[in-house]
Amino acid sequence: MNAALEAEGLVKRYGARTAVQDLSFTVPQGSIYGVLGPNGAGKSTTLRMLVGVLRPTEGHISLLGGPVTREALRRVGYLPEERGLYRSMSARSAIAYLARLKGTPSGKAFKRADALLNDHGLGKVKRKKVKTLSKGMAQKVQVLAAIAHEPDLIIFDEPFSGLDPVNQRVLEDTIRAQAAAGRTILFSTHVMEHAERLCDRILLIAHGSKAFEGTVRDALALAPSVAVLETDGAEYDLNAALAGRGFTMSEELGEHGNRRWRVKLENGHNSRQLLQACVEAGAPLSLFEPARASLHEAFVSLVGDKAMPDAAG
Amino acid sequence: MSPIFLVARRDYFAYIGAWGFWLSLITAPLILAILMFAPVLLARAEPPRVLTIIADNASDAAAVTGEFEDLARRSARAEINAYLAATAPTIAPDALAAFDAAVEQGGDNRAAVAAARAVVTERVPQALRAFPQPSPRYVLTPPPMAGVEALRPYLDGTQTLADGRTLFGAINIRREADAPVIEYWSLNLSHNEPTLIAQRAMRLTMQREALAGQGLDPLEADRLNAFDPRIVQFDPRAAAVDAEVTARQRAPAYAALALAFILWSIVFSVANMLLSSVIEEKSNKILDTLLTSVTPMELLIGKLLGVAGVSATLFLFWGALGGTLLSIAATQLGDSVLGQVAAAFLDARLLTAFAIGFIAGYLMYGAIFLALGSLCESIQEAQTLLGPVALVLAIPMMLVMPAMDNPNAPIIQAASWVPLFTPFLMLMRAPAGLDWVEIAGQGALMVLAVIVVLWLAARVFKAGVVDQVSMSSWRGRKAKD
Repeated sequence: MNAALEAEGLVKRYGARTAVQDLSFTVPQGSIYGVLGPNGAGKSTTLRMLVGVLRPTEGHISLLGGPVTREALRRVGYLPEERGLYRSMSARSAIAYLARLKGTPSGKAFKRADALLNDHGLGKVKRKKVKTLSKGMAQKVQVLAAIAHEPDLIIFDEPFSGLDPVNQRVLEDTIRAQAAAGRTILFSTHVMEHAERLCDRILLIAHGSKAFEGTVRDALALAPSVAVLETDGAEYDLNAALAGRGFTMSEELGEHGNRRWRVKLENGHNSRQLLQACVEAGAPLSLFEPARASLHEAFVSLVGDKAMPDAAG
Repeated sequence: MSPIFLVARRDYFAYIGAWGFWLSLITAPLILAILMFAPVLLARAEPPRVLTIIADNASDAAAVTGEFEDLARRSARAEINAYLAATAPTIAPDALAAFDAAVEQGGDNRAAVAAARAVVTERVPQALRAFPQPSPRYVLTPPPMAGVEALRPYLDGTQTLADGRTLFGAINIRREADAPVIEYWSLNLSHNEPTLIAQRAMRLTMQREALAGQGLDPLEADRLNAFDPRIVQFDPRAAAVDAEVTARQRAPAYAALALAFILWSIVFSVANMLLSSVIEEKSNKILDTLLTSVTPMELLIGKLLGVAGVSATLFLFWGALGGTLLSIAATQLGDSVLGQVAAAFLDARLLTAFAIGFIAGYLMYGAIFLALGSLCESIQEAQTLLGPVALVLAIPMMLVMPAMDNPNAPIIQAASWVPLFTPFLMLMRAPAGLDWVEIAGQGALMVLAVIVVLWLAARVFKAGVVDQVSMSSWRGRKAKD
């Protein structure tokens, strides 16, 4: 596996406060890699170290096969979490300017800016000043500015924040298209659904340290399976009926006067055993649905509830 | 293309593209011209002040009236002399002689001015365009009422004179034990020039009376007062024949003063541009994006160069305008005072000091302002920081006037080796014999200071833009502690 990026033993301290603690991970070339974690987990600090904005207190970074040099960074596109553009520049000039700073010749930079803006439905506003664009449009321009120099590695810090669902979907498509073109994408997010849909591999950070690194499938395997059950009527208490059999469950909002239960299948239990227990207890089941655990649940099981953001988040 | 150049280019065009730039480009010379000529125009626009003289003794009233008329004549003569010295110095003696002759023949001020004007009309008609129309500062009017008490309504503004004018003041000459006492009545409490004029007249009157009392000719007092030694100033550095100090020798000091003020204004206005530029970038949140392509030091230098380009453009425009006017003045006005001042601006030593002062001063103060800006989140925050900084920056301007008075005073010499003050004081000292070795030494010191300041500023700038250290975060941390 060729690595586009390797971090080893990264530490970042600000005085007595440690923002990132002994973080090691590898981003395979051509993959979509997600860095997940709640706000304040150290995701942005990690990404800023990867692109050379911050110097690690300890540790080593290998970027595109070598140290973090000016030349290596020219092959990296970066969208920071705190982002913005020169408000008095036109959209195309803003994209071309940042591409030129990355070494793209002027003529080519403007051509690519025009092409990207046209492809992303912003052709009509390409000569408009950034300050006149809507927030969503400006954010799209910022994303395009990060990829206009056709980098080998693209690093996005919380790229979905501030976008409406339609534009989130457009951005997901952009990320997939860039990956399809052979580029490596690394992005941070605290919204697990994006990672679940896009990522080949993920890194979970909590309190500045690595909680997990691997594929999405591996992460999901760490979470207990669940089953969703419904019992007829408001009287029947499934929790009480199955007490002592080792199932943990929580009650959810039911429909049509029924009660709904979410049962965690842990301690070696599986859905067949749960169904058998329900039958033995004479539970009036109207629904029995084994469900796959979400990434959120996987991470809750890894780091605990307090360290995680809301699933919707 | 170098990232430094790209940053500089972007900043340059961002400023050039702003309408405020063009506004200041065009309005600054206009405002400067207005500031230069406003006091003269205001003085000319003011109507003469109307005074009245009351005296116990008619001869006292006549003496004071004579002194006021004499003053008006001297002022008119001086005004014509100054104008001709600046515009047509060759004919000044003849024009003034015609003025004096008209006075000798009993002509009034108007006749004397007309006589001088006639000489100019005949000899240098092109100098007539702005020929002065001297207007007396004071005009005298007979008292509208007898006695000071009766004059009160005219003096306190409740009543005007018969012709509608307002009485500015009244001079009352009383005799106490035969000695004159001058009373001055006016609403304008801070203006006492009329009393000084009256005092001069009455002093001469008293001297005449004293001489007459001794049985001597009272006009001896006039002759004694007419003694007036000629003052000649010499420059010991000049050869004996050129040693006399005239306007030509004084002109470089005035040129240096003007350049020091111009330098100070430009350095601080462009340094302020840098301050607001970096704050704008912080608030635009674009710095993280830039920092993957440029280092903080490159960003700092790029910004300095960009704004340096803006000031170079201003200089080119203003310099071309000023240079053209100065060249015209230097050639057209020749040996006149204005021509000499114009020529003084073009002195190599002064221009070298100005160039070193501008480049080094701009880089040094610009880097300081950039570093300060990187620590601020908003213009408001920057303003609180700039308060004490502005006080420090006012020091060079406080030293400029003493430097004009004595450019080689030990404190000025010592202060000129303090890098924060060097750009301005080097300029002020240039006309007073600052030699090339010293200019080179101070230039080298400035280069060293610029390197040190840039290095320090880059560290502060990096802390501000990369590590997000700011005044507010520092205050917050302190509050938590």
